Amino acid sequence: MTKKYSKLEAINLDAYYGDFHALKGINIAMEEKAVTAFIGPSGCGKSTFLRTFNRMNDYIDGFRIEGQILLDGRDIYEKDIRVDELRKEVGMVFQKPNPFPKSIYENVVYGLKIQGIKDKKILQEACETSLQQAAIWDEVKDKLDKSALALSGGQQQRLCIARALAIQPSVILMDEPASALDPISSAKIEELIYDLKKDYTIVIVTHNMQQAGRVSDHTAFFYMGELVEYAKTKTMFTSPKDTRTQNYITGRFG
Amino acid sequence: MPHIDVELERLREKLLEMWDLVDYQLTSGRDAMMNADHELSQRIIKLERKVNSFDIKIDRMCENFFALFTPVAVDLRAVLAILKINTNLERIGDTAEGMARFVCKLDRPFDPELVELTKVLVMYDEALAMFRECRTAFVKDDPKHAKQIIKMDKALNKIYRKSDVVIAKYLQANPDRIPEGLALLSIIKKLERVGDQVTNMAEEIIFYREAKVVKHRRKKKKKE
Amino acid sequence: MTNSEKNRLKDKAFQVFGVFCTFIGLVVLAIFLIDIVIEGVARIDWDFLTSLPSRRAARAGILTAWAGTLWILVLSAIIAFPLGIAAGIYLEEYAKKTKLSNFLEINIANLAGVPSIIYGLLGLELFVRIMNLGGILLAGALTLSLLILPIVIVTTREAIKAVPRTIRDGSFALGASKWQTVWHQVLPASFGGILTGVILALSRAVGEAAPLIVIGALAYVPFVPRSPMDEFTVLPIQIFNWTSRPQAAFLTNAAAAIIILLLITFLLNGIAVYLRHRQQKKIKW
Repeated sequence: MTKKYSKLEAINLDAYYGDFHALKGINIAMEEKAVTAFIGPSGCGKSTFLRTFNRMNDYIDGFRIEGQILLDGRDIYEKDIRVDELRKEVGMVFQKPNPFPKSIYENVVYGLKIQGIKDKKILQEACETSLQQAAIWDEVKDKLDKSALALSGGQQQRLCIARALAIQPSVILMDEPASALDPISSAKIEELIYDLKKDYTIVIVTHNMQQAGRVSDHTAFFYMGELVEYAKTKTMFTSPKDTRTQNYITGRFG
Repeated sequence: MPHIDVELERLREKLLEMWDLVDYQLTSGRDAMMNADHELSQRIIKLERKVNSFDIKIDRMCENFFALFTPVAVDLRAVLAILKINTNLERIGDTAEGMARFVCKLDRPFDPELVELTKVLVMYDEALAMFRECRTAFVKDDPKHAKQIIKMDKALNKIYRKSDVVIAKYLQANPDRIPEGLALLSIIKKLERVGDQVTNMAEEIIFYREAKVVKHRRKKKKKE
Repeated sequence: MTNSEKNRLKDKAFQVFGVFCTFIGLVVLAIFLIDIVIEGVARIDWDFLTSLPSRRAARAGILTAWAGTLWILVLSAIIAFPLGIAAGIYLEEYAKKTKLSNFLEINIANLAGVPSIIYGLLGLELFVRIMNLGGILLAGALTLSLLILPIVIVTTREAIKAVPRTIRDGSFALGASKWQTVWHQVLPASFGGILTGVILALSRAVGEAAPLIVIGALAYVPFVPRSPMDEFTVLPIQIFNWTSRPQAAFLTNAAAAIIILLLITFLLNGIAVYLRHRQQKKIKW
């Protein structure tokens, strides 16, 4: 099977919050079943950019985009695209673990339930598969009916990943998924990302340079709303082309 | 297995591939020398290019590993050791090539008497043994084994130190064989270098497993 | 005296003053309560609770009054609960930050501060006259619903606001619509808070006499209301009525009724406190 080199694409993308020009003429194509990391200083637009791929910015007053975002070649901002359908295809994991104040089981099957799936057997199977994929099944299999809030932070985050996997997306967006966790939990999440890229296209925003190095195949460096450099992570971390990239990844910024 | 271990394993495997390549150069170098086999020597010389590309590849892999994984502690020492062993292997490859070039100039095999006198075969076998033992020590991550290898180098040095006198004596008796004698002397010198390189590699293994620097101590002893 | 000693003395003085201020309120309340209890507690018995009102103090009971209060409570809750919660959800989750929604917000906050008698007049005009309901339970409940609606809306909004943004994001990201997110996530998570607010609002409504008098609730109702269309009285009106009589026996009756009314209020507040406590223990974001 050949990999697509443009699973996700942005073409001449500009984004605005009211008058603020948050993203400036971004062009990028992201490889299928690989990890692409977005790095850059706070406020550089990387999170904003990430959130355009599942249209999470739609809820922000005054936000608008120009240009195109393509998923498998289809513009996801076209009128006939339904946002709920899009989000079945593009899952998301957030910075802070955000399990719902419900049982572990209810958390995992929530995405399926709101699609109207009621068959207990399907739900239970989906629950087990996704928890296993998220490498947390062994830790929670005996307490699926316990509150998800009783889990540790790292477990909660893996539960949130399982929850996103349950609706079988092809793309997973991760917004600093390990930044609120201790080093061990953080390492577990990284391992998980590394395993998941066999089946999923993953885009991850991170402030942690080492993390970007460890988990990603490609890295995009953003600065002041611009995509400064986009290259293989190896290349970017050994010989970046732009001095701004060099300064940022060596910690000499500003 | 954690991602970092997977990458480290790839790095080790690459290094072992190179190790085998150099092993082939050394082993067939012995046959080529004994039979004055020019064809085999040419093959050894050509292999050098492949060894060089391995050297560059492993250097690049180490660089990437540092950049992407920012290794610490045992991981850091492992990559540092691999990086240095890589350099030493490449030099041993160079040495094997150099020996092959001497063999190319020979029009007949060495005089058995000269071979016997200089103990060059003993030396060659000892160097090969060291080289292979070192590979085993690396595969097994065994610093004790590595320490024994360092001791093996003494036998090589002993033969080497006597060799010039022995050859000089032989050449006085057989002045018509001066080029042959000089070639053998050069080969012996090169074998001594191989012993040193392997010793360095063994020291890297000890450094990697035990975080102990054994280089400095040994050099002092050498001077005594 | 050094500066630090002076400061410490000032500190001490303020503490004493603070304790004094705190106790003034409590002491006055305690004196009032004790006075009422001494006067009324002996009058409370089964007959007092189950007798109809009478012109003779010794035979008069508060059956119709507390039954009316209960009716009003339940009806107001049924009316105000869905309206207030729906309005709260709309304002918090759906309304865009426009001038209209700003205007609505400010006015709802203002409404919470409007004197209850004004609501009574509004109810009189709207429900009793225009809708021609007359002084019946439904009219009273509607009027009190109006009175507590702003409180319910404000507390609903506060409770909804306390549900973290991340929970909504999580739900949206899984493909949930706004309504699904509100129904499955926001409401269950904020329900305890909303309920607390509603109960506190109701406990305020229980004590209201003025708006009900204005819409024409009667002091003397010789039967227990059987439907929302019946005429009614409530405890505060009964108390008001009794205290305005010259006979001492009626004053005792009033004291006894006050004790019952206070019990109801305390009970409601107690439930509210309990719910809030449970909510805080159950969910830690």
